[in-house]
Amino acid sequence: ERWSSWYWLVMIVLAIQIIIYLFITTSF
Amino acid sequence: MNSIDWVILFTTLILIVAYGTWKSRGSRNIDGYLLGNKSLPWWNVCLSIMATQASAITFLSTPGQAYEDGMRFLQFYFGLPLAMVILSITAVPLYHRLKVYTAYEYLESRFDLKTRSLAAFFFLMLRGLSVGITIYAPSLILSTMLDWNINITTIFIGSLVMIYTVSGGTKAVSMTQKYQLTIIMGGMIIAGWTAFSKLPDNITFTEAFQVAGEMGKLNLINLSFDLSDRYNIWSGLIGGLFLFLSYFGADQSQVGRYLGGSSIGQSRLGLIFNGLLKIPMQFVILYIGILVFVFYQFNQAPVFHNQSMKDKAMQTEYAGDIAALESEYDKVFIEKKKEAENLVGAIRADNPTLIQQSRESIERIQGEEKVIRGQVKDKIAAAIPGANTLDKDYVFITFVMTYLPHGLIGLLLAVVFSAAMASTASELNALASTTAVDIYKRSIAPNANDYHYVKASKWFTAGWAIFGMMFASIANQAENLIQFVNIIGSLFYGTILGIFLSAFYLKYIKSNAVFFAAIIAEAVILYCYFFTDMAFLLYNIIGCLVVVVLAYVIQFIENQGIKKASQ
Repeated sequence: ERWSSWYWLVMIVLAIQIIIYLFITTSF
Repeated sequence: MNSIDWVILFTTLILIVAYGTWKSRGSRNIDGYLLGNKSLPWWNVCLSIMATQASAITFLSTPGQAYEDGMRFLQFYFGLPLAMVILSITAVPLYHRLKVYTAYEYLESRFDLKTRSLAAFFFLMLRGLSVGITIYAPSLILSTMLDWNINITTIFIGSLVMIYTVSGGTKAVSMTQKYQLTIIMGGMIIAGWTAFSKLPDNITFTEAFQVAGEMGKLNLINLSFDLSDRYNIWSGLIGGLFLFLSYFGADQSQVGRYLGGSSIGQSRLGLIFNGLLKIPMQFVILYIGILVFVFYQFNQAPVFHNQSMKDKAMQTEYAGDIAALESEYDKVFIEKKKEAENLVGAIRADNPTLIQQSRESIERIQGEEKVIRGQVKDKIAAAIPGANTLDKDYVFITFVMTYLPHGLIGLLLAVVFSAAMASTASELNALASTTAVDIYKRSIAPNANDYHYVKASKWFTAGWAIFGMMFASIANQAENLIQFVNIIGSLFYGTILGIFLSAFYLKYIKSNAVFFAAIIAEAVILYCYFFTDMAFLLYNIIGCLVVVVLAYVIQFIENQGIKKASQ
């Protein structure tokens, strides 16, 4: 009148960021 | 500040105001004035949302916060992308299809007039008070740094915003915000780059990162579960989700931004890109504070970052004590600088034993520095009774004024003024829309023509701007008033969110149930505020849940009553 792939993108980017930040926190 | 800085500062501000006023001229109907004729593309929706959320204090305080206790503040934003997805699915299509001007207008079509008026009243109260603080907080810092009178600074910011928001409405707000945010992010990145480039010659970007890590500043994630402490991943994901659902879904300052999108798709994309970009943007701002911190490992930091307040204290009998503490601080710094250089050497040699030795030495020296800084603050507090000796808001701006070249100082001050103006503009515009649409047009003068409502909206915008400036000058006299306004959002956001979530998801709940549930929930929250010391982040969750559960129960009882009566 594919949105869901955008929503998944937001969630995946958030998850990737959290993993990167967790890596930084534990290894620096 | 020299003449180049002043020219850059005033040229930037005047150009933005003139551009906003000129580009938005001629709005003669209410759609144009309050919704900008729904013409915004997604990227402008996104920039407007980001410029509204990031007030001047974001850019002054956030680097100072990272400087003092590391990057853990970032976790607070983890719930934001989730809120963007939920609102894209629910709120955006609903608001667009019903062609509402404000979020509260939707509540009348879903519930009734009294629920709409209650939510609009809550919003006007919390946002009306906080717009004064949005102007006041940066004015306080800017007036200290520029040696201006605080009330003149407040009136300067308030009047600049008033010129283009009154004349051009929503369109002027979003037109100016895209340039304001560009100036803001450009200026901040230049400041961060300057801090890095002033490190000792041979330190690389990676080494600066490692030094910050060894000093415990890269504490990005804390996995322990404690909702009463806002700095862990669960508070960010759960508490942040509730807070940002309320802020972006039910606060007209934000809803007004994406209602101006040219279609459901454009508004959604604006929210989605906010969800993608917000955390990286906060990371950059926090990391600038970290770069300033690393810079001060190799360069002498001021013992107290609010220079103007220290100068005042030096005019009193405590001058000798403060000077003695300062020379002690200088001595400790020389020792710290040596250890910081040792740490860089140990990192290069990749020698874990040496790294640990250096780190322990630096931690010990930092402990000494902290004690001296505490003593200096005590002396300043004794010298100037009632002085606020928290100086973290001054760390970044003092660094800028001391170490940036002329020209860039003017640009960075334009950043702070622009950020103050961008968020104030959205708030004034939202207050005027809600007053005009939900109160004036709905209940006071329902049958006037379009042009009459445009004129009324202009008067409401000017009225709220003047109220904000007056409130700011009162706030200057009352520290506890400022603290109250800073948490007032927490007192009402949960309840408002409960009303909206019931509207979006729970078709079972009707108007009477949600109205009385909201009033009881608000009483519960106010009780918690006055009689318990519960964490403010929990208020949003509790307020929302109380509304939803109570509304369900009241609706059930009401339905039973109707059933019995009809038998």
